[in-house]
Amino acid sequence: MSLLDALPTPKLRRGGYPNAVLVSMSIVMLAVLWGLDAVSVAPNRIVQGTGVGVLGAIGLPGAFLASLLILAIGGLACQPGRTNYAAALGAVVLLLALMPFGLMVASYFLIDPALPQARLGIGASYWLILFILLLCLIELRLRLALTRLLPGLLLAGVGLLWWLCASLWLDDLALVQEFKARDRQFMRAVGQHIVLVGVAVGVSIVLGGLLAMLMRRFKRLQKSAFAVLNFLQTIPSLALFGLLLAPLAWLAANVPVLAQVGVSGIGNTPALIALVAYSLLPMVRNTYIALEQVSPDTLEAATAMGMRRGQQFWQVRLPLALPVLLEGVRITTVQAIGLTAVAALIGAGGLGTFIFQGLGQAAMDMVLLGALPILVLALLVDAALGALAEALRPGGIQ
Amino acid sequence: MIELSQVSKRFGDETAVDAINLKVAKGKFCALVGTSGCGKSTTLRMINRLIERSSGDIILDGQALEAYDPVKLRRRIGYVIQSTGLFPHWTVARNIGLVPRLLKWPADDIQTRVEELMALLGLPIEEFAHKYPHQLSGGQAQRVGVARALAADPDILLMDEPFGALDPITRIKLQDELASLQGRLHKTVVFVTHDMDEALKLADHLVVMRDGLIVQQGTPLALLQHPKDPFVESLLGGLERGLKQAALTRVKDHMSSLGPTLPSQYRISADFSLRQALSMMLRDHTDRLAVVDQHDVPIGELSLRKIVKEAQLEKGSMREA
Repeated sequence: MSLLDALPTPKLRRGGYPNAVLVSMSIVMLAVLWGLDAVSVAPNRIVQGTGVGVLGAIGLPGAFLASLLILAIGGLACQPGRTNYAAALGAVVLLLALMPFGLMVASYFLIDPALPQARLGIGASYWLILFILLLCLIELRLRLALTRLLPGLLLAGVGLLWWLCASLWLDDLALVQEFKARDRQFMRAVGQHIVLVGVAVGVSIVLGGLLAMLMRRFKRLQKSAFAVLNFLQTIPSLALFGLLLAPLAWLAANVPVLAQVGVSGIGNTPALIALVAYSLLPMVRNTYIALEQVSPDTLEAATAMGMRRGQQFWQVRLPLALPVLLEGVRITTVQAIGLTAVAALIGAGGLGTFIFQGLGQAAMDMVLLGALPILVLALLVDAALGALAEALRPGGIQ
Repeated sequence: MIELSQVSKRFGDETAVDAINLKVAKGKFCALVGTSGCGKSTTLRMINRLIERSSGDIILDGQALEAYDPVKLRRRIGYVIQSTGLFPHWTVARNIGLVPRLLKWPADDIQTRVEELMALLGLPIEEFAHKYPHQLSGGQAQRVGVARALAADPDILLMDEPFGALDPITRIKLQDELASLQGRLHKTVVFVTHDMDEALKLADHLVVMRDGLIVQQGTPLALLQHPKDPFVESLLGGLERGLKQAALTRVKDHMSSLGPTLPSQYRISADFSLRQALSMMLRDHTDRLAVVDQHDVPIGELSLRKIVKEAQLEKGSMREA
């Protein structure tokens, strides 16, 4: 159900050509490992750190081990086959699992315990290798024709390990320091973010569903409604927040009841209105298409068997529309998770707060503290809803 | 019993069905045949009110169609279509049990009925009950479609080119099964097809339609013997008409008793069609066949000369009539 599933699953061929994707990714990783900075060291929060290469960060043995594992991925990919792919998968997972330990080694080497403000930043090669390893994982999932579950579990295990390392031993890491300085705030921001997204998506599911039903009933409505929704989608999010500011502030000032329930020019209300406005288009479009794409033959059979309109809708049309409908929920939710970051600018809270504060203070690690969880949240929702839609396909069709 | 009188259907300016009269007696199998767009499907769908007619009357079991609630009407009329229209998100068992469920039968009764129907249509329960429609072959899906239509034991069965999408071998097999099913169940069937052989094989009453009109109707034999115009004749197979007619008659209706001469060494069962007998004569270069019973004992003789003579006599007597 995610973008990747649209790719055809190539057949395994024993002793065929080398897997060009994995081989080239392995070469790029090697170049990145030796060519770019692995970590950066800064004496305090504001000063720009100085970059340190792989040898300085994890020493010759560490660099040697990392290179070996990366070469193994490329080497195994030269002779494709199920066993070799499985071994390559093992190497990828091992690399992912070792990465936080690399940081530990680096902080041991590079951070002077006498300087309490000194911190370790994660460098370009570290991020790039992490990214490429995830690509390798996707490629291997396709080659090995694995379900979502196994790679998901592997990633969850690796994530847990990282979390453990970060909370127990990686005190010198800038990201960890940023987190430790405001862990309560962080948890609250995550909560706010999830609530904002949840409410916005919930409201747009209800509104979108109703709107899609109205469009089916009154076909003439369809064109104008989609025009309006498309138009809403083109307004930059910041501009929409700005546009809502004045009328909502006026309403709050003049209608006391609204002010009492929390309506104001800034804060949650405009954020939610804007989020719902953006969410409506994908929601309505998918719901409408989902309901309309159900085969007319099947629906006519339902009528001919003597189903009433309501029975036909609830027992046939809706269940058959559900996978596409959930796809709409997935797209909408992922989009809303990203947009909610911007809502921080008008005081709605959420993880965006850290991004904009960090930008203001030129503290890149604080930006990361906001951006990384947003990324993780989006990926989690994407995977979970994708799996749900897959599970709801009747009898595993398609 | 279904009775249509002066029934018409107009879509805008187009007349799909033009003042047709049709009577299908209880327990009879009526086939509507014609080229595509001749209005046969429209006629069928007017009977269960999937399409509302523009004018005319339809009487079902002595009552005007309007007297029935359309939903309840459809629950007592079985309906089978070409693409089967099975619900892809339901198992075979659930698909078959649909109408009884709509009629709020007790769960146990539904279960029993589904098992009964699956047995009737040759679908082993443990193999098929939990399969989904996309896991079935065309023939299996069509069997499920028929089982679903029969679920609430309707008196009337409407079938819209049910075997149109099947390969020839499966189609013939299902036709045979439908024929034997009808022999036991005696439903009132209205069957739409463009395949004349199928219609000839199954129907008691054959209706040929063109451009929304009924060109000719009657028993298959009557139509074969007296096609009203070149259109009906070409639909009935033109020059092949003789063979199609032969296919409708049994060997035993044309055999003569055993004569003093030695019976032919070529044998044919009395239950075979005359067409099969003629084919055997051509294949085996003979003009005489020995007719045998199911125990392979000769009971009569079939002679080509006699068949031809009988056909001449028949023709002559018809001219007089």
